[in-house]
Amino acid sequence: MDASRRLPSLVMAWRNLWRNRLRTILAALGIVIGVIAIAGLGITGSALRYGTAQQFSDITNQATVMPGEDAEQRYLTESQVQSIRGVASNATVIPVKQGRVTISSHTGESYASVDQVTKPRELYSAHKGTIPQPFRTGVLINNETAAYLNVTIGDLIIVGDQSYKVRAIISDGGIGYRDSRVVVSPPALSKQGYSSVMIIAEDGDAAQYLANATKDHFNTEGEVVRTSSYGGLNQRVGSLFSTLNLVLLGIGSISLVVAGVSILNVMLMSTIERRSEIGVLRAVGVRRKDVLRMILAEATLLGVIGGAVGAVLSAGIGALLYDTLYSDPLLVFRWASARYLIVGFCFGAFASVLSGIYPAWKAANKRPVEAIRS
Amino acid sequence: MSVIELDGVVKRYTNGDEEIAALDDVDFTVNRGEMVAIVGPSGSGKSTLLNVIGLLDTPTEGTVTLDGRDVTDLGTDGLTEHRRESIGFVFQAYHLLPIFTAVENVQVPSMWDSTVDRKDRAEDLLRRVGLGDRLTHKPNQLSGGQKQRVAIARALVNEPHIILADEPTGNLDQDTGATILDELTRIKNEENVAIAAVTHDTQLTDYADRTVELVDGVRR
Repeated sequence: MDASRRLPSLVMAWRNLWRNRLRTILAALGIVIGVIAIAGLGITGSALRYGTAQQFSDITNQATVMPGEDAEQRYLTESQVQSIRGVASNATVIPVKQGRVTISSHTGESYASVDQVTKPRELYSAHKGTIPQPFRTGVLINNETAAYLNVTIGDLIIVGDQSYKVRAIISDGGIGYRDSRVVVSPPALSKQGYSSVMIIAEDGDAAQYLANATKDHFNTEGEVVRTSSYGGLNQRVGSLFSTLNLVLLGIGSISLVVAGVSILNVMLMSTIERRSEIGVLRAVGVRRKDVLRMILAEATLLGVIGGAVGAVLSAGIGALLYDTLYSDPLLVFRWASARYLIVGFCFGAFASVLSGIYPAWKAANKRPVEAIRS
Repeated sequence: MSVIELDGVVKRYTNGDEEIAALDDVDFTVNRGEMVAIVGPSGSGKSTLLNVIGLLDTPTEGTVTLDGRDVTDLGTDGLTEHRRESIGFVFQAYHLLPIFTAVENVQVPSMWDSTVDRKDRAEDLLRRVGLGDRLTHKPNQLSGGQKQRVAIARALVNEPHIILADEPTGNLDQDTGATILDELTRIKNEENVAIAAVTHDTQLTDYADRTVELVDGVRR
């Protein structure tokens, strides 16, 4: 009775909910499902975004500089490369020379596009063997070329007119890696200049910045160089996922609207059933605002309990999702995900309170004379 | 001294195009320490009269005076306030809240008033109506007579000046009805309250100090 001395509306609300346990549980279940829909879909969106961001982070820090439309030559000169090194002094700069030459082994011969770089480890990943760094002498080939020439690590192949030892079999491209068939150590290609220069910066923003700085440096009159980078990709992916999340939240909130309507219905029914009780309360001197508070407290309790259960279940579902995708269930508590638990809870509680307003108002303003007529 | 005074009270209802006068120029008064029985056939307007006396309904014409104060034109909240402070209600169907114990039910009229704690008085009242051993029982654990005694205790908790009873013995057998009427009579004398009771029960009119008869909304 001490609690009811302080918060009589809340105590009455609780006991009235308890009295119709099954109905209370079913009504709260609507909110639980609604909250799971919102929080679950929000967390799913943020989990997908997390994984995508992880994958893209490897390429977003790269920028490629190539000769532009107004360039005097169709390649980048040694002095241009030096200028790029000057602009991107904090980043790794890797000039790439490209040419078509004959490659051959004992069993096969082919005319192929060959890349020549000094630091291949930054650009390729080894499928077999290890990529030497610095790359003084040797050749790296992809699976397809290895199969065609019928060679493996340690064998010799002839590139142009020189023979090189195969140091590693490289993977075919992949996110963050360059796609080449044959990579040879300098100075295999006699050709002048470089087809492109790779800049590998700290992160996406830095790569974007260096790409722009390089263009500013060269393109004072016409497009001497052009660049490509994925710096904007992060933002674009981010905004794509924001849109996706909004759509998911929109879908989720539909189920909360349904839950709200069901609470409205349940509260209306329960106030109609109890109209004589409410009428007696009003007759013996309980004020309208206290009746209003009591019914609103019931709706609020439904929303808060349903919201809390929904948030806990959503956290569990999210943890399961993160565990499946990234083997780390605790990632669900990153703010980007955890905030959807709070959003879901708040929406659930809000929908419930909102649904309680009309029944509460109606119950409070019912004339006691009509209500107690038995 | 009169607790409540009705002067020329008219209550009209419109039913479609038809206008019905449930009460037609009724004067009524009840004093402290007096029990008045209001009798009459169904539809005679006795429930309407009780509602007007109980400030549950407002008259179309005429005035209602409670403890010497004109309360005819008070708004909903003002009427609620006066009901809580001055009037106790006893209903035919008891109307106890099933979620509360006997002692909690008695406290209901004062429950939302944080300035008072009526728990001791509630327990005391229940003992006085012979329910000292039923304090924490819920209504479904009580008999009809016991429920009505809880209702009487509830009506008394805020020390009212008048108790209004709507067929207080209507759901009870003869003997239990008699004990309830004994209880009301005792309380009337001990607490010096006025009691107005609407009834069909001739037993009740025997206990009443005075009987008012209504026919078609007019006093006989």
